[in-house]
Amino acid sequence: MAATTVSSVGQTREAARPGRAEQGAVRAGQAVLFTALFVYFTLPMLTVFLYSIATRWTANVLPDGYTLDWWIATFADRAVIGAFGTTLLLATITAVLDIVVVVPAAYWSRVRNPRIRPIIELSAAIPFALPYIVIGFGLLQFSGIVAPPLQGTFPLLVIGHAAIAFPFLYWAVDGAMAAAGIERLSEAAEACGASPIQILRRIVLPNIRPGVVTGALLAFATSFGEFALVQIVARGVYTVPIWSAEAIRSYTGEPGNFNRLAVVTMVNFIVLFVLSAAVVYFNRGQTVRLLPGARSIERGERR
Amino acid sequence: MSSVDLIGVTKVFGHVPALEDVSLQIASGEMLALLGPSGCGKTTLLRLVAGLELPTAGRIRIGGDDVTAVPTRERPIGMVFQSYALFPNLTVRQNIAFPLEVRRRPAAEVKARVDELLDLVRLASQADRYPNQISGGQAQRCALARALAPSPAVLLLDEPLSALDALVRTRLRDEIRRIQQVVKTTAIYVTHDQSEAMAIADRVAVMSHGRIEQVSRPPELYESPATRFSAMFVGGRNALELPVVDGRVALDGVFTVPSPAGASERVVAFFRPEDVEIAPNGVGRPAVVEVKIFLGAVTRLHLLTEVAGRQARFYADLPSRQAMAYEPGAKVTVRIDPANVRIFSLDDDGAPAPGAGGAHA
Repeated sequence: MAATTVSSVGQTREAARPGRAEQGAVRAGQAVLFTALFVYFTLPMLTVFLYSIATRWTANVLPDGYTLDWWIATFADRAVIGAFGTTLLLATITAVLDIVVVVPAAYWSRVRNPRIRPIIELSAAIPFALPYIVIGFGLLQFSGIVAPPLQGTFPLLVIGHAAIAFPFLYWAVDGAMAAAGIERLSEAAEACGASPIQILRRIVLPNIRPGVVTGALLAFATSFGEFALVQIVARGVYTVPIWSAEAIRSYTGEPGNFNRLAVVTMVNFIVLFVLSAAVVYFNRGQTVRLLPGARSIERGERR
Repeated sequence: MSSVDLIGVTKVFGHVPALEDVSLQIASGEMLALLGPSGCGKTTLLRLVAGLELPTAGRIRIGGDDVTAVPTRERPIGMVFQSYALFPNLTVRQNIAFPLEVRRRPAAEVKARVDELLDLVRLASQADRYPNQISGGQAQRCALARALAPSPAVLLLDEPLSALDALVRTRLRDEIRRIQQVVKTTAIYVTHDQSEAMAIADRVAVMSHGRIEQVSRPPELYESPATRFSAMFVGGRNALELPVVDGRVALDGVFTVPSPAGASERVVAFFRPEDVEIAPNGVGRPAVVEVKIFLGAVTRLHLLTEVAGRQARFYADLPSRQAMAYEPGAKVTVRIDPANVRIFSLDDDGAPAPGAGGAHA
């Protein structure tokens, strides 16, 4: 059925396709646009990379000379390594915590109690509506009342990051659930005699995995680059963004300072890029399923 | 094998009543079809038996045990959905094994049972495929095997054939009936297709507006519908609105029947197209063939006649060989055996007319 749908769509497109000359023009236009986009995305990273291996970069288009000293020096710096470790740990725990909280909640809101959906959706909008600084001070105030010993600690920061990063996971997971028709599958599993935990583990999770992975990556990335909350909520926690901010603040004019910042920025980029590429590879061919209703289109069903 | 009893079941969604005081007994091993148009409450009734909805009032018993408050997963049921609802992440074999695995049956037993079911539904060759690699008919047979795997007391089928094309539909319908009789399970079959209901079920419950209009064996339902709604919904039927004159209802020269006691001034006369007798030139009323539709074994003729200055249209089905004599425009004579005409009072909602047979069966 899927094949028929796809081919019929293809045919209508072909029928509407313009003549050969026009086709060439369209192709050229696409190439120009694609190149422009590519340059737009890669040029900033390219400059950062060049800066990280430049001895000096003065008035020329390209650096005056090249060296790996900054990379070596950066990786020899225990503060940097420590910051990376802390940041990775923080982002990982944040993503895992969000999965543990959000997936069951999203499942529950779809299958059992649609009335909690507005509440979830509203709280998912808050991190976009309020600046992180405001959320940070709010969290500080609140923890001061409820649990003063938590203030300034790593666990409180994890809670804060989980709170601001969960919407990304929620939307991805919710979309995946809609695409997989989780309500239907869940009812079928229930009629098969499965318990809620069996349903979640054996039916729900395997069918929304692409959404979970994509959402977890977004949550991870949010936490990885977050600065305001770390600064406000957990002054004792030393992450990569904090290190970067200090590197800028403590600029003394001696060479190497900004180059090492460029190195750290590059490493940041590489970490997130590799993760994204892994997610794309993992979800290959299934990305379309994240869109609501995509499943039924795939099967040629009516909705 | 178990009987199913619904006692005074009512279901209200918000303020909208979906079922009103429905009582129904389904005998052990029986296949009962719930037949009605969309929105009549048939699917709600099925979901109540499954426990996917909870009744607002009333009780549900399976095999004599009250299951009204028992959660779905602990009810002795198997369910087949219109949309198949196979688990896309599991193969055909794994789908069928799922209900057994969640019950923690030993692996050897699961394997033996799944093999047995694969043979029963003739899917052994597709066992290791995923749901998106098999056809709709195969998917629904897999869903049937999955529903039957734990040997449920009751098999619930929610429009299982609606998503399939016509040829597969009749084949699978007969297959479902065969399998149900082999495993001897009690079954409730929801459908909006009257021919499907009559072909597959031991008894048919006709539903309308959250109520059961009539529960009958298919031949009785077809021959003597109890209500105007049943008459209209079941079988292809002619419905003519006619006046009552001197206690009689007549289409002059075609039929004359006594009006049922208590009927209003205007009534609806139902008669089936195969009961219309046509002759090139004989006893009866003259009529003109307007349209001729070849349907295979039978041919349908749309007829026009004039009664007291008013035009009346109805149609007749006759064996195609006989219909060869009649082309559009042909003049014929028409009559109907009065025994084959059923009269119902003309009221808006199709509720049973007084005197027109039993109200609720």
